[in-house]
Amino acid sequence: MSKEKIELIENSLISKKIQEYEIYFMDTEIYETEFIKSNIASEREVNKFEYVIRTLSQKGKETGIGIVKGNSLEPKDIDKNIETCVFLSKNNSSSKYYFPKNKSLPQIKTADQDILNDPVGFKKDISEEIKKEIDGHKEVSPTFGRFRLHAQHKYLRNSNGLDLNASKTFFYLEIALKAQENGKLSESWEIEYIKEKEDLKIKERVDKWTKIAQNMLKAKIPKPNQHAIVVFPPNVLKNAINPVVGFHSSGRAYHEKITNLKIDDKVASDAFTLTDNGTLEGALMCNSWDGEGNPHQISDVIKNGIFKNRLYDQKFAIMGNTDSTGNGMRIDDGSVINSISNLEISSGDIAKEDMISDIKEGYLIEKCSWLNPDRFSGSFGTEIRNGYFIKNGHLEYPIKGGNISGNVLEMINNCHYITKEREFSVNSLFPYISFKNLTISS
Amino acid sequence: MSYKSHDEIFSSFEEISSSYRRKNQYFDILYDSTSSIRILKTRSEETISINANTSGIVARTFIGNWKELALKDIAELEIIKKKFPKVNNKGGEIKEFEGWKINKEIKPKIDPSEIPIEDKLQKIREIFEYITKFDERIINPIISYGELLTTRIFVNNEGSQLRQVLPRIRLFIQPIAKEGSIIDFDYFSVGAEGGFEIVKEVFDKNLDQVIQNSLDMLKAEATPSGRLPIILDADMAGLVAHESFGHGLEADQVLRDRSYLKNYLNKKVASDICVICDAPNIEGQYGSSFFDDEGIQASKNVLVKDGILKNFIHSRKTATEFNSIPKGNGRRESFAHPVFVRMTNTYFEPGYHNIEEMISEIKKGVILVRGYFGMEDPLGGGMQCTSKKGYLIENGQKTKLLKSITLSGSVLELLQNIDSISKDKLILRPGTCGKGEEDYVPVTSGGSYVKVKEALISPG
Repeated sequence: MSKEKIELIENSLISKKIQEYEIYFMDTEIYETEFIKSNIASEREVNKFEYVIRTLSQKGKETGIGIVKGNSLEPKDIDKNIETCVFLSKNNSSSKYYFPKNKSLPQIKTADQDILNDPVGFKKDISEEIKKEIDGHKEVSPTFGRFRLHAQHKYLRNSNGLDLNASKTFFYLEIALKAQENGKLSESWEIEYIKEKEDLKIKERVDKWTKIAQNMLKAKIPKPNQHAIVVFPPNVLKNAINPVVGFHSSGRAYHEKITNLKIDDKVASDAFTLTDNGTLEGALMCNSWDGEGNPHQISDVIKNGIFKNRLYDQKFAIMGNTDSTGNGMRIDDGSVINSISNLEISSGDIAKEDMISDIKEGYLIEKCSWLNPDRFSGSFGTEIRNGYFIKNGHLEYPIKGGNISGNVLEMINNCHYITKEREFSVNSLFPYISFKNLTISS
Repeated sequence: MSYKSHDEIFSSFEEISSSYRRKNQYFDILYDSTSSIRILKTRSEETISINANTSGIVARTFIGNWKELALKDIAELEIIKKKFPKVNNKGGEIKEFEGWKINKEIKPKIDPSEIPIEDKLQKIREIFEYITKFDERIINPIISYGELLTTRIFVNNEGSQLRQVLPRIRLFIQPIAKEGSIIDFDYFSVGAEGGFEIVKEVFDKNLDQVIQNSLDMLKAEATPSGRLPIILDADMAGLVAHESFGHGLEADQVLRDRSYLKNYLNKKVASDICVICDAPNIEGQYGSSFFDDEGIQASKNVLVKDGILKNFIHSRKTATEFNSIPKGNGRRESFAHPVFVRMTNTYFEPGYHNIEEMISEIKKGVILVRGYFGMEDPLGGGMQCTSKKGYLIENGQKTKLLKSITLSGSVLELLQNIDSISKDKLILRPGTCGKGEEDYVPVTSGGSYVKVKEALISPG
């Protein structure tokens, strides 16, 4: 069915003698259950599709790119969208660009066929499991939750002979659990995008989040420290590393003269190795191909503290006279941005437990209000939502409130310990890392 | 989506809506169509993209819980009939309101569609060139221009037949400056409901100041940490009103038993001089509309008056549960996103003080300028609001420029510690607001200068 829709658009492009074109087509199904307390408050289904047409107009050293998004398949609307796209490409003036050609792609399974066959049944089963688990923990009260299943079917065809399709399934899970005692309230409010059904682990997650909510009842304001040792778990680390190191590693940051990272320079501690891996199974952005149809691949970004490679989409690869590393990401308006796929930090040589044991005084930050670093400078400052004060190798007491601040580009030079254990968080597979010289204020 | 006129859409919606009897169950259906133009110009890219009227429909009914179905094409209405069961005597579970009718299109003073896209692009290129040539330390001017035209058509089985066409425009200018290893920026953002008139003046007037502000940030110093007297500019005051305070007033959080403000209705939550409102019906603002996505007419909601919490913010469902009156806050990002209780234009009403006097009263403190981002904590009442920059106050004088500052602590403590609000004109700044980490809707927030006796700040 979708193939027929693409052909409808392509036939119109061909009939208008458009030389360079691309059709990106996305069919999406969403199935969601919303909980209020532990009751099902809403059940929602979405079925939508949209397409993006890009056409090119070559102008010597430059290329005009037209981008039009639509979801009407009425012939007159398709014709109008193509005409608009061509008009935009004639007026636009971008650096040299051409669409990718067919290349060998990694073979990766990104969709679960059982789920595609019965998404409603799967959503029902998981929703019941969530209800059972949150009802089972009498020590906390569930306040709110959402479970959502996404099934996406993507198609990409261009005038250079590329003709790709892929299906993908993934999940969204949000649960808020409240603990209360003697008039004190605390909450564990967790939001996760999860790629594989095996990683949903509802019981394990609810058990963990229940414990967090309970522990936070005893939380104290952290004591201030200008040179604190701070442990970041994978889910917090991702929010620091990905927007800053991811951006500074991009071809875009280099060509916009924003980054100071130079190839073969020492930019991080010796034990710090960072890889962009678009083929990483279990990570959210795992695909055979990127938003332009270039193969996803594994690229060393920082190896043993040395900056090794930049990450390129097609446009910045052409600009840099190199090959795309599969780092073109399609965004909502249909354009492509130069971005990370999945990031991996290599395991260190210490067990998490031993790392904590070795810290005389420090902080484990399990959740921040919003660790939203400035991607240009790397600076950040955020409220601590959940964490622990570490004293003489033990988690001494839970902490909440106060601020943690620092700079991500400096932090990666101050790695204290990197653990053997790693965990997935959205599009990252990271260990726990302790950093020196961060500031805690309260 | 197959093309239909709005009269045809009304007619199709009426037909399906009337097949569900109100006394048995509540039913509504919404058509959502979006057209947009986005132009982005940076040192390395020039992107023009057009969203050519993507649209869809979403229908829902309440039968003990909500059943909702979003579809891409109005030709698929029969699917709704198949999927939504007909039930008996569930109509009372959602409070009934009298049906009403409206059909309004905001007509911009300068219709952006009448300005050729090549002219808009040319103007943005001129701005880019001007900023680039201003000073060699400006390494990358980022200019983002967006037009959005949203059409929503709503019908329910209470007899409501509503249509609104809302044009919105937004311009964002961010000159990135670099000197040695220091990179920083300031930014300018304008956005409102309306047409090209909103950005036209900016194109001609404000550039030098925007660029100089970015260059000045290269010399900005780190803020002191700790508990200090502070002044919030209108932007930061709005961020506190919206992010830290307002999210706790969303009655779905109260219904979930997840709001720190649950037991505070008609109780003191702020100092006596505070009046905080949410008003979707302010003409021409980025968060304004005639009705929400549940067909409720937009009207002003006084949340806090003289420091007393007067109202929560409601959807149809929460208004039913709390026997209250919704004011137009049931909003969706699009047909493919759920309805939640959302704020619209949220602000501190201006007070009676003079900003110079407010500064002169502080021996050592900080002014926080430009609300950059914030995060809600509806259960805990914690606060994280980050300003892009600030100024040190020493001995009653505004002195050094400061880098980004994070404000944290308890929001109720901050509100109680407000001791003056300036008499400057209400300023509302545009933005988008998520519920948690998703479901973004256009909003504004603002106020005037707000002075707080003491609050916790640290580098942002």
